Amino acid sequence: MFGKLYKWVDSRTGIQDSLEEALYENIPGGAKWRYVSGSMLVFAFMTQAITGIFLWMNYSAGSQNAWASVYYITYNMEGGALLRGIHHVMAQAMVVLLPIHILQVVIEKAYVKPREFNWWLGLVLMKITLALGLTGYLLPWDQKGYWATKVATELAALPPVVGGYIQKIVVGGNEYGHFTLTRFFALHAGVLPGLLVGFLVLHLAMFRKHGITAHSSKKRADQMFWPMQVLKDGVACALLFGLVVYVAIIHPAELGPPAEPTEPYGAARPEWYFLFLFQMLKYFDGSMGWNNEFVGAIVFPGVVFGFMFLMPFIARIKVGHAFNVLLIAALVGGAGYLTYEAHMEDNYNIYNEQDVDSAAYKKAAKYHAEVERANTEFRLIQELVEDYGIPLEGPLALQQRDPYTMGVRLFRRQCASCHAYNATGENAHLAIAGPEIDANAEGPMGAPDLYGFGSPDWIQGLLNGEEGGITSPKYFGNTSHAEGEMVAHVRDTMWAEAETDEDKAGLKETIEQVSWALAAEAKLPYLDYAGNQDKIESGINHLNDDTLGCVGCHNYKENEFGYVFTLDNYASSEWLTTMISNPNEVYSEDWGTANDRMPAFHSDATKLLTQDEIELLVRFLRQDRTLLGDTPESVEPLKAEAPAEEAETAEVTETTETPAPVESEEDTDETPVDTTQEAIEEESAEESEEEAEEEAEEEATEE
Amino acid sequence: MSETNNSTAKESRRGFFGSFSAWLAAAVGAVIGVGPVCVGLYTFIMEPLRKKQMPRKERDGGSSDPGFFRVASVDEIATDVPRRFTIVADKLDAWNFMKDQALGAVYLQKNEAGDISCYHTTCPHAGCSVAYEQDSNAYHCPCHNSSFNLDGSKLENGGSTNPSPRPLDTLEIKVDEATNTVFVKYEDYYTGRHDKVAK
Ligand code: FES
Repeated sequence: MFGKLYKWVDSRTGIQDSLEEALYENIPGGAKWRYVSGSMLVFAFMTQAITGIFLWMNYSAGSQNAWASVYYITYNMEGGALLRGIHHVMAQAMVVLLPIHILQVVIEKAYVKPREFNWWLGLVLMKITLALGLTGYLLPWDQKGYWATKVATELAALPPVVGGYIQKIVVGGNEYGHFTLTRFFALHAGVLPGLLVGFLVLHLAMFRKHGITAHSSKKRADQMFWPMQVLKDGVACALLFGLVVYVAIIHPAELGPPAEPTEPYGAARPEWYFLFLFQMLKYFDGSMGWNNEFVGAIVFPGVVFGFMFLMPFIARIKVGHAFNVLLIAALVGGAGYLTYEAHMEDNYNIYNEQDVDSAAYKKAAKYHAEVERANTEFRLIQELVEDYGIPLEGPLALQQRDPYTMGVRLFRRQCASCHAYNATGENAHLAIAGPEIDANAEGPMGAPDLYGFGSPDWIQGLLNGEEGGITSPKYFGNTSHAEGEMVAHVRDTMWAEAETDEDKAGLKETIEQVSWALAAEAKLPYLDYAGNQDKIESGINHLNDDTLGCVGCHNYKENEFGYVFTLDNYASSEWLTTMISNPNEVYSEDWGTANDRMPAFHSDATKLLTQDEIELLVRFLRQDRTLLGDTPESVEPLKAEAPAEEAETAEVTETTETPAPVESEEDTDETPVDTTQEAIEEESAEESEEEAEEEAEEEATEE
Repeated sequence: MSETNNSTAKESRRGFFGSFSAWLAAAVGAVIGVGPVCVGLYTFIMEPLRKKQMPRKERDGGSSDPGFFRVASVDEIATDVPRRFTIVADKLDAWNFMKDQALGAVYLQKNEAGDISCYHTTCPHAGCSVAYEQDSNAYHCPCHNSSFNLDGSKLENGGSTNPSPRPLDTLEIKVDEATNTVFVKYEDYYTGRHDKVAK
């Protein structure tokens, strides 16, 4: 039955003859394992074409969608991570197999007469493969691909006269954008694979024309390609595929945070197989006059390629073949060495842990810090995507509303030259290093570490007069406050008076209670106020009774004799907003040294930060991750106070929480916060102690 | 071809699958050929069938009537004349989440007694969008001439064809007396079938 069908098909298609033609190629000396590299390359390309087409079914080229779709493939699609992983790892396998294949061809003298054309076709195939790697690297549109590819396309502008045009054509204009992606994608998924198939067909046809280079030997009989060599090729390819799948599973293809043109990525590196070119550029620094970037990026690789092109002719002269073998060996070795160099340079800090002060160490440490930062940004955007989904405007729109992503960025840019943000525990990924504090030097200023600002822990540290407390760099660093009245009071009065262990234990307890009372002013969304009502109440009493001597200087509720800033609303949203906008509005005027040198970030005179940016920073400092434009989390630290207040809050919650899911269209941008925020900004000029006092009075009367 | 060693060549040609290694080679070849395709096909087939989940913060916080959408207030619905209303809801499209998107439309009408009925605008024939036309006081589909009476039943207008396999699809509604709002259980049905089957 099957035989009959086969005969019927064969008689009409000649399938038998074609198969025999294709598979009965004589191999002088028999099938050998070392002949498998070519087939493996073909198989690798087939895998890339197949996985590539399936990736294509989910990929969307365009600067709002590219990252989002790759994210979706990697983290949402079933089997998507594996699919992308195979494509990613197999691409690297191809680049590993290429030099092996080339070395083999050169060593076995398969490139000389009459196979010149096949050698050249092979070189073209190599270039196409590398171009596929280069174009593919950009497509996920993440920070790494974006900034690394940017370097590559900058190089395209190096050739004189035409360079600028070439670059514009490749990039699709002056700027990276939709057209860069659509062009790279068309090249990567259409033009280059098409060319590769075409040249591969020629390469194989030429190979069949000249036959296998090996000679028959006495020791082993000739064999046909089928079946032994096919089997060997097949086994090799199966092993390769197994290995690739394995690597793809244990080392999934990475995805960085989405490309952000305004946030340069300091750890941008090309894919590892281009690292040698990246490294080589460092040596073309113009130090010898002729060795400039153009020579390094264009001329030198061009000359090397020219030599490779001429190798079949070089082989004709005496010792030419030996020269060629040496040349290729030197190229492979040189590329290997440069790759190693690049790796060692970036990881200098890991291999030379002692050498902390060297420039090389610092540079490598910076590189690693950038990688770490990208990991944090990715973690943050991943949390955002899972919480909110990606809006039509793309992932950047989400990031720009996120107090954590933007908080870290803004803090690094504007605050970290004085303040640290030494986040720990589950927030450790948000940590931002402050300046290096040298207590003896004037140098960079160490201002308070703002992680957990306003929380009981933070305040307990501030009120701790012993080692690690208020005198540690965590608080006043080397601002003028380091030897100011506050330190003097805490260290020399509060703690000096506590002599016995018992005294100290009592003081600590009081401080804990006071810290909770102060934290109640901050209304921090991450604190467990409900579980600490007792402490808050005792703390309030301590403050009112002035147990610790706070209200001698600070105002607090009905105590209004203080001459430095009030503790009412300390570290609250409003307080922080005012403090960042214009610190001089927080500090009382007649306390001349109060503000050491914190600039106003948004006042009539300066606009270092926009109001939105300040809002983001405030939420970040308060560990409130409500997106900008949404109502921030509100907490009521004190339960069951005056009944009037209770009624008020109940009303508020009702109005904010009632909208049914369908009605959500109505509570869009206009949120109560925005308006209050604006109000605060507008009135901030007039708003001063008077108002604070008024508020304190109000509260007092309510009580 | 150079220096062919004829005896081996002939031996090999005794048949395509003449040896164990030949079968093995074919098997290995098949496996590696199919491997990447399998992975790709798996994602291609599984993705559309997978149940999608709304982003964490956008999941319905315990709405008592899943599937019901607020469409209109009772007063907006006219008596004996159908009016078209858009269904607005959050929408998930692959990686994008969009708030308040138009999912589709329905026709709502009241009778004298004040009973409200609701019809899907999708034609049961092949999915075009039907529209109410005032002149004939009936629903007409612009594609293959299906027409429906105001009660949704097929319109038999002497001689003219009407390929719809069933009447217009009705949708379940709920009226919240307190707020005077109409909620519609909006779902899509397979077209071209005699029975109304939800997708
Ligand atoms: S789709 Fe309405 S008549 Fe065919």
